[in-house]
Amino acid sequence: MSAPADKKPAADPAAEKLSGAELKKKAKAEKAARRARERADRDAAGGTPGPKDGAGKKGAGAGGAAGGKDAGAGGQKGQRQQQRRGSTQGGPEAKKRPVENKNVAVFGHLYGQPRRTSVAGAGKEVHPAVLALGLQMRDYVVCGSSARCVATLLAFKRVIEAYTTPLGTSLSRHLTTHLSHQITYLSTCRPLSISQGNAIRALKLEIASIDPSVPEAEAKAALSEFIDSFIREKITVADQVIAGSAAQKIQDGDVIVTYAGSSLVKQTLLAAAREGKRFRVSVIDSRPLFEGKNLARTLVAAGLDVQYTLVHGISHAIKDATKVFLGAHAMTSNGRLYSRVGTALVAMSAKERAGGVEVPVIVCCETVKFTDRVALDSIVVNELADADELVEVQAPQQLTGLPDPAAAAAAAEQETKKGGKPNQTAHSGQSAAAEFPTDASPLANWKETPNLQLLNIMYDVTPAQYVDMVVTEMGSLPPSAVPIVHRMSTNM
Amino acid sequence: MPSTAALTPGLSSFLKSLKTNPIDTSIDNLISLLKRRQIRHSRSCATATAYLLLRVISACRTSDAGKLIERVQSVGRRLIAAQPREMVVGNIVRRVLGLIRDEAEDDREGDFTLSEAGSESQPQTPRATDDPSVHEGSDRSLSRPPFPTINTTPISMFNLLSHPEPQPSLPGTPVSASPSGRFPSYTPTKDIRAEVLDGIGEIIDELGQVDDQIAAYALDHIHSNEIILTHTSSTTVQRFLLKAAAKRKFTVIHAESYPNNHEATHATVSGKETGDDEIMSTESFQKPLIALGITVILIPDSAVFALMSRVNKVILGTHSVLANGGLVAAAGTRVIARAAKLHQTPVVVASGVYKLSPVYPFDFESLIEYGDASKVIPYEDGDLVDQLDVQNPLYDYVPAELVDLYITNLGGHAPSYLYRIVSDHYRKEDISF
Repeated sequence: MSAPADKKPAADPAAEKLSGAELKKKAKAEKAARRARERADRDAAGGTPGPKDGAGKKGAGAGGAAGGKDAGAGGQKGQRQQQRRGSTQGGPEAKKRPVENKNVAVFGHLYGQPRRTSVAGAGKEVHPAVLALGLQMRDYVVCGSSARCVATLLAFKRVIEAYTTPLGTSLSRHLTTHLSHQITYLSTCRPLSISQGNAIRALKLEIASIDPSVPEAEAKAALSEFIDSFIREKITVADQVIAGSAAQKIQDGDVIVTYAGSSLVKQTLLAAAREGKRFRVSVIDSRPLFEGKNLARTLVAAGLDVQYTLVHGISHAIKDATKVFLGAHAMTSNGRLYSRVGTALVAMSAKERAGGVEVPVIVCCETVKFTDRVALDSIVVNELADADELVEVQAPQQLTGLPDPAAAAAAAEQETKKGGKPNQTAHSGQSAAAEFPTDASPLANWKETPNLQLLNIMYDVTPAQYVDMVVTEMGSLPPSAVPIVHRMSTNM
Repeated sequence: MPSTAALTPGLSSFLKSLKTNPIDTSIDNLISLLKRRQIRHSRSCATATAYLLLRVISACRTSDAGKLIERVQSVGRRLIAAQPREMVVGNIVRRVLGLIRDEAEDDREGDFTLSEAGSESQPQTPRATDDPSVHEGSDRSLSRPPFPTINTTPISMFNLLSHPEPQPSLPGTPVSASPSGRFPSYTPTKDIRAEVLDGIGEIIDELGQVDDQIAAYALDHIHSNEIILTHTSSTTVQRFLLKAAAKRKFTVIHAESYPNNHEATHATVSGKETGDDEIMSTESFQKPLIALGITVILIPDSAVFALMSRVNKVILGTHSVLANGGLVAAAGTRVIARAAKLHQTPVVVASGVYKLSPVYPFDFESLIEYGDASKVIPYEDGDLVDQLDVQNPLYDYVPAELVDLYITNLGGHAPSYLYRIVSDHYRKEDISF
């Protein structure tokens, strides 16, 4: 398939098309390599008994190194195979492959399969709507616990609409496994949120409770109806109720501090603004997602007085705050708030302000985000995002900054050496770092830098004593009431 | 690097021009550099101030202490007015004033006890005990830990040996341009100016060696297999960790201090050069920690709380230290210290004595400087820039109760002890000059 690529690399459209195919193949090879590495890692981890602090760490390190080497070998194998098949994958890349394990030891348990990079390799039973949603979630296009939950349910509704029960099975039995494929795919794109998990559990329960004698069309209609009502009750209406009651907590002259971009906090603030309350909002944001920027934009558009700063300015922003509103990813059963990383810092600053005056911390959270899991620290349960997100991407070259002719010549030379390979994307990171040492971020090739690790965790756990109130659609509660409400809402 | 240094005004270009420019031009030059924040690291400010005062005093054609004090005060006031939040400038001015006063007093005493007049540096030892020790430590070996303050009654052999060679300690400094009063010890009324110039030379030496002296304590504070959290690209902290890394293996978690210092931090952790020529001094050409086999984990500032439960020790650099034991450090330090306190993790602050300011803060807000808003919201988001109130604080005030230990070039101190060091270094009459 890739043989023609060698023959006519100059023909642009053909090259374009084929490079896509090549990319796909490369992704496959990479995945194989990754699998090999993970297997090796797992073996190594299994081999070292009882990872206790001192010796255990050393053992794990050695194991990791060994795993890395294995992965390198696997990768090279993949490369070789590709070369045999006539692909023009660059040789030097294989050599540059990191030998070192870049996983942060403490979070070793969280490095599972890395996030899926493309739809390639997804099972054929995965619905196109789910395929698209998976990629959107991976790229944070669909981001936020409730948004992901709603989007998943809507996608599943389409899956159910397009579903026909195969012969010999019943809908209530087969549809669950069919959905499981979708769910597995989604979770390879990004680990599922608590709310997604809760919604899926409810949906599966509903499917299982369908009488096999019910005709298929009727059952599907019932399920669609169930999904609609779930979204309506648990999220849409719940959000309105929460926004309404949380907005009551805002008074004229308040200074509200919020962190990152919670949709529920946004609705609350907009609701309060609609009621004609005069207050100021201070949005604290964080790298690398900058979710607060969108929140700030919306609030500014609504005519609110908004102040914006980043994590480094927390203690300044909190100084004149009168209330802190936080969104939640989940509330754990021990009353702790599991939310975007950095939330704990804001809550802590609110409670430990120098003046001794505590600022009330109010969490807005639907009950669908309640979970029976418990968490004591932010390390056992967390989600790791791609560490490359932390590497600053340089703004595209300015108009005046034409590429250095010498560098361009070098690049051209390199290209010809490689046999005129049309797509250089795989190399761009390294070559950019080599050619423009001053422009590229010093972290550009951190993966090749020994002993340097980047850690990009998504969530942290805020201790329950920092949360004064959780506003839910069932009322405003102390954090200790979370397990009770969770039990009530799941038993219903 | 020299080319960039010449292009953008900074510490190096200032020091270069100092020799050739007339005094008043140099003063104006430094004032504008401070105003434009082209010199902003505290050590650079201190060095620039010290060299400028050296030049000012050497150009002052008088040996009357009163006139010298007046001159230094007027220059100092102008410098402080240029950058009131840079306390290091005031510290250096105060130390120089203290030097002049000491010399003047010694001079008066010296009239009565002429037998002692032969010794140049001895009379000032009761107050500036650390300075001679610092000086001597440097002449012999850089790695030698300086003598603790207490047992420095430097009538020792070192003092005798260091006497014949006061010049090598200030190589290439403008002081050599005024050798007129170099060995005035035989005249009955010795030249105060030369003594003061020597003293300033010692301050400059101290500024050059302070990191090494602080680093000498590293092994007392870092044990093997520790997990250490740090923040910003402070060279003092890096030096401290490097010193420990030579002997022990530990892990460093480095918060990147976005958006004001992240580039330098990234460069520090990865060992790449920065484009920032201000900190491009000889000290910054050091190996990164990763080259010594230390695992460095770079995290965004937001992840500090999540990781704090795993951290054994927090080691922070600072911008300046206040007399009450609080500190003014890079923004974000306060939440880190707070989170550390909450997790019962010790917070260690590494800082040279020159950053220790006699200012007692009543209005913390006045100490905080705000920086470039475009670092928080880039101008690409033009619509937001118009409508938002964007805040980019450069510094945080960290109260003393959040700090467990200070490590200065004199050793480790509790925050509550700092006022004592302040009174060792500055004279009462200079605190508000």
